Amino acid sequence: MKMLTIVAGVLLVFMFVWERVDVVRVGYQIERLKTQKVLLERERDQLQVKFSALTAPERIAKVATEKLGLIPPQQGQVLMVHQQEETPIPVVPPIVQVRLARHDSTVRGNE
Amino acid sequence: MTSGPSRSRRYLMLFLLFCGFGIILFRLVTLQVLQAAELTVKADRQHQKTESFEGARGMVSDRHGKVLAMNMEVPSVFGVPTSLESPSTVARHLSPVLHIRSEELERKLRQDKSFVWLARKLDPEQGRRLEQLSLDGIGVVMEGRRYYPKGPLLAHVLGFSGMDGQGLEGLERRYDSHLHGEKRVTVLQRDAFGRTVFPKGVAEQAPTPGHALTLTVDEVIQYIAEKELEEAVTHTHAKSGTIIVMEPQSGAILAMAVSPRFDPNVVAALTPDRWRNRALTDTYEPGSTMKIVVGAAALEEKVMTPSTMVFGENGRMVVANTTIHDHDKLGWMTFSEAIQKSSNIGVAKVGMALGEQRLYRYLQVFGFGQRTEIDLPGEVNGLLKAPKDWGRRSLASISIGQEVGVTPLQMVSAVAALANGGVMMKPYVVSEVRDQKGRLLREVLPQVRRRVVSPETARTLTTILEGVVTNGTGTKAAIPGFRVAGKTGTAQKIDSRTGAYSSTQFVGSFVGYVPAESPRLAMIVILDEPQGESWGGTVAAPVFRQVGEQVLNYLGVSRDDTVKIALAMKDH
Repeated sequence: MKMLTIVAGVLLVFMFVWERVDVVRVGYQIERLKTQKVLLERERDQLQVKFSALTAPERIAKVATEKLGLIPPQQGQVLMVHQQEETPIPVVPPIVQVRLARHDSTVRGNE
Repeated sequence: MTSGPSRSRRYLMLFLLFCGFGIILFRLVTLQVLQAAELTVKADRQHQKTESFEGARGMVSDRHGKVLAMNMEVPSVFGVPTSLESPSTVARHLSPVLHIRSEELERKLRQDKSFVWLARKLDPEQGRRLEQLSLDGIGVVMEGRRYYPKGPLLAHVLGFSGMDGQGLEGLERRYDSHLHGEKRVTVLQRDAFGRTVFPKGVAEQAPTPGHALTLTVDEVIQYIAEKELEEAVTHTHAKSGTIIVMEPQSGAILAMAVSPRFDPNVVAALTPDRWRNRALTDTYEPGSTMKIVVGAAALEEKVMTPSTMVFGENGRMVVANTTIHDHDKLGWMTFSEAIQKSSNIGVAKVGMALGEQRLYRYLQVFGFGQRTEIDLPGEVNGLLKAPKDWGRRSLASISIGQEVGVTPLQMVSAVAALANGGVMMKPYVVSEVRDQKGRLLREVLPQVRRRVVSPETARTLTTILEGVVTNGTGTKAAIPGFRVAGKTGTAQKIDSRTGAYSSTQFVGSFVGYVPAESPRLAMIVILDEPQGESWGGTVAAPVFRQVGEQVLNYLGVSRDDTVKIALAMKDH
């Protein structure tokens, strides 16, 4: 019984030490991954800036005209083809929100 | 039995052991009890590192999610002069990487300081080269730097932020409270090698990035507007120019171009004059474009009908001892013709028929003399005097766009109201604010300001303004395949030396909307002091056509020659 208690005690000590060591090991691992994440995020941002700069309309137009020899479509060269049901409907605000100017003796800045 | 000397040795040993343990015990008590507080602080200082992190500034993108401004972490270099053995050698190594003269770097490194910035917010490539150098006493930290990847595109609206990430101009300033990231101070645990270890019992939270803005602006429309404006300014040798493209039904700004342009990535050497958003900070006398408002008021008040006859006084009329001229010797004409031919005398008479109070009221209702309350900083009220301050000629002068100062934004908003059936919308630039996870925090919906005229008046005036483009002063604004409604304006500027209207300095403008029957765009084009030909119909109307045609093509708006296809394949 005495022996068993000693063994259990030693095991507990080992477990405690192992746990502490493992916490430190995982801690370092987490820090490594965090650093990696930061570096990847940085790279992502750099690529996004680069992508945005490369897709700027001004640059595309320059490449299209100067490198590829393209020209903007001339008058009559663009033919629009639309499905018949497509009709732009202007958004008319609800009438309750509006007021006739001639009935308006005082003007308020923003209604 | 132990002998005498051996016993004394034993006592000596015991005494020494007692003394030894006594010393250890004393030291233990000193360290653990008496100096405990002081030493704990010292240990923490060595094991813990307090670092301040700032969340990245929020991104700004156009209505289709194209990035217009974003943050990127870039290296900043500092030196620790007190730890340097040979500042001159270090300066020589750093000079070609930082592009700073080695003498200047050496001067900084010879200062009696423990920290000195050498260069901030460098390009990532410079950071990589610095890492390769690995110089003692030189450190690199990462800081957020604002990038505007499209360069000068939309620069006057975006503005820019400062070295410490604070918004200084434009949207960067107006929305700074949303855009700036949250600053957070974190305590990190360090090991013997200075590496950060998993924080034990220390709460570590990542700093919160700023909110992202989505704009109403379309980068392609903005590009078209800027390109055409630059060409027009160069061609006419104008001092500056402005184009605003607005969606009449919502008030959303699709483009706001100002010339000369600037690159917000490089603002250090520029003066405020260069980055001022003239579309809302500068006023000008609108000249004949103001006749739209006078015409709308006269129709709404039934003072005039399109066919009411007005006499043009053969091009010369005396008002309050001054003479109003027309460009042609016009006789009798209809009210519609007076606007289409841009007759100063005809419209001045219309203004007089309206009277001071009614004209003033309509000018106010159309938004002159007050801010549009667009979500951009620096907007001015413009200049609109109350009738009590008007002179004897003011009624006639204001009717033809003199003695009144308006911003380009006010003028396009007023005309957009007519395009929208008489309902004025509040102009806006930011449509959405989202947090770092993409959750919608704020959505800006179109906001009605007021009805300015009835739908009938708006329709009648649209027909008159179409006449300006088909057979009036604005024929060069005509876009093949579309009905365009608009008005030209040529305003004399006031000569700052004489205080009188200049005969050489003009503001040429064109304001209108297209397609007239169902407007998709309201647009204003202004050229300040064009050289040579300076009529709005000659210098600004062609720019309206160029921009309008390209934008309508880009938006895929149906034109007269559009091929309609029936949905015959519906069931397949």
